[in-house]
Amino acid sequence: MEPLHTALGAIKVLRCSVGQVFSCLANGVRADHGEEGRDAKFLSELDELLSSVTQHLRDVEQAVNSLSQPPGPFTLGNTSFLSQECTQERQALYSQLVLSYKWTDKIHEFSNLSVALLSQNSLKRSYTNSSTAKRRRAPTSSHNVPPQNVDTVISSIDRQFPDMNISVSRPFGANAVLQVTLSRVLQAVVALKGLMIEWVVVKGYGETLDLWSESRHKVFRKITENSHAAMLHFSSPTMPELAVRSFMTWLHSFNTLFSDPCKRCGNHLHSALPPTWRDFRSLEPFHEECKH
Amino acid sequence: MGVTILQQFPMLENRTGPQTIDFLTKRVVALGAIQCGQFLVDCDTYMSTPSLGPQRTVHVMHNSEQPASVFSLLESSGKTIPLVADGLFDLLMLKMTPIYTKKQTKVESKGPRFELADFCIKLGSVTISQNFKGVLVEVEYRPCVVPATCWDLLREFLQGFLGSCVPSMPPQYLQPRMNEIYQPMDTIQQYLEHFSMYRKASGVLQFN
Repeated sequence: MEPLHTALGAIKVLRCSVGQVFSCLANGVRADHGEEGRDAKFLSELDELLSSVTQHLRDVEQAVNSLSQPPGPFTLGNTSFLSQECTQERQALYSQLVLSYKWTDKIHEFSNLSVALLSQNSLKRSYTNSSTAKRRRAPTSSHNVPPQNVDTVISSIDRQFPDMNISVSRPFGANAVLQVTLSRVLQAVVALKGLMIEWVVVKGYGETLDLWSESRHKVFRKITENSHAAMLHFSSPTMPELAVRSFMTWLHSFNTLFSDPCKRCGNHLHSALPPTWRDFRSLEPFHEECKH
Repeated sequence: MGVTILQQFPMLENRTGPQTIDFLTKRVVALGAIQCGQFLVDCDTYMSTPSLGPQRTVHVMHNSEQPASVFSLLESSGKTIPLVADGLFDLLMLKMTPIYTKKQTKVESKGPRFELADFCIKLGSVTISQNFKGVLVEVEYRPCVVPATCWDLLREFLQGFLGSCVPSMPPQYLQPRMNEIYQPMDTIQQYLEHFSMYRKASGVLQFN
């Protein structure tokens, strides 16, 4: 590519210097040659120009010699058909090309402006971080995480809560299914896809656990419902590990399901149910009817 | 199997047994409970023949909640040995008549059974050989298996429809077992505790 560029550059220079020769000839003897011996001056100028032309011609020849034969036909795509049409007017290409050139120019200009504006604006809604250190990190994906990473995340959560026992099994290939036993209060099955929580079923201590059937007890059916809300609330595609960790912390707060009274009404029971709702931030217990 | 609390309901002088059961039924139904059949807990007591050394007592009990099981409690030298067996145990006791003789009369608690969300409420009238003795209310909270974690909740529920007769402490029998997993045998032990109280008392228990 490089020799082709130098050759094209050399041709351009040659054309320039030839153009200078002709303009010099066309102008003839000028006022700035003075009165005395102006013919001699004119001739010496012309001589100089002609010698520069021969020098540039030599450059061109040199550059052309260093070019190698292209190995095959060029693939030009649709543009190769342009040569089929001999009359340029019928293609009507020129105006369209000018238009698209203007467009790309404008786009370039606008995008430069918008980059400048957006990088100053701190009120970002998306999680994209413009700092170069973060950008180089591989983009996190919530559903396509290697099983080893899932295992390390789960075991670190398991260690975090001594009264919550989590066991991992993989009945459906790579995706993990967690069996959570929270002291002697409840059991839960959590189906993961990568590190994204897909399904949660909460049941009582001692009930048979599976992914599809509901609990016998009304209170755990209610908690299953609430845990679906929590799973959607905590879901975060860019920080899947945090999402799982927050969900497990929330689920752990149910170890006082039967012993903690409602934060609002102070009673244990409301329509024969204990406080089945835990606040997402404070983890405080509330009855379904008292949470608002 | 959830945690069960057994509670005596004091009899008022101007009210008969069936009237008390009716009175409690109205309260429970007003809370939204639905009647789901009847229940029965009975207790037969056998004594060993005196010729076989120190006398032993065996209580053989049935609970309609566990219809395939027979519960037996052997009292010997201050200890109580519980045993859960299947229905054939009744026939075995018949074969043992030379050693264990049925001495005392049969004690029963029976009445309507209600369900309210995860609670199961049983209003039992206690009879000793067909003589009415008093009212025992059984409340089971089925989702929970450890008494310590749900005692406050159960007390609140009991007080809700029984009033001030509910004590603030758990039943005597449960107190040392508050942090263990509740078993059907624990219900039977509570019944036995109350039945022996009714046996000792003469006539209808007025207040507990």
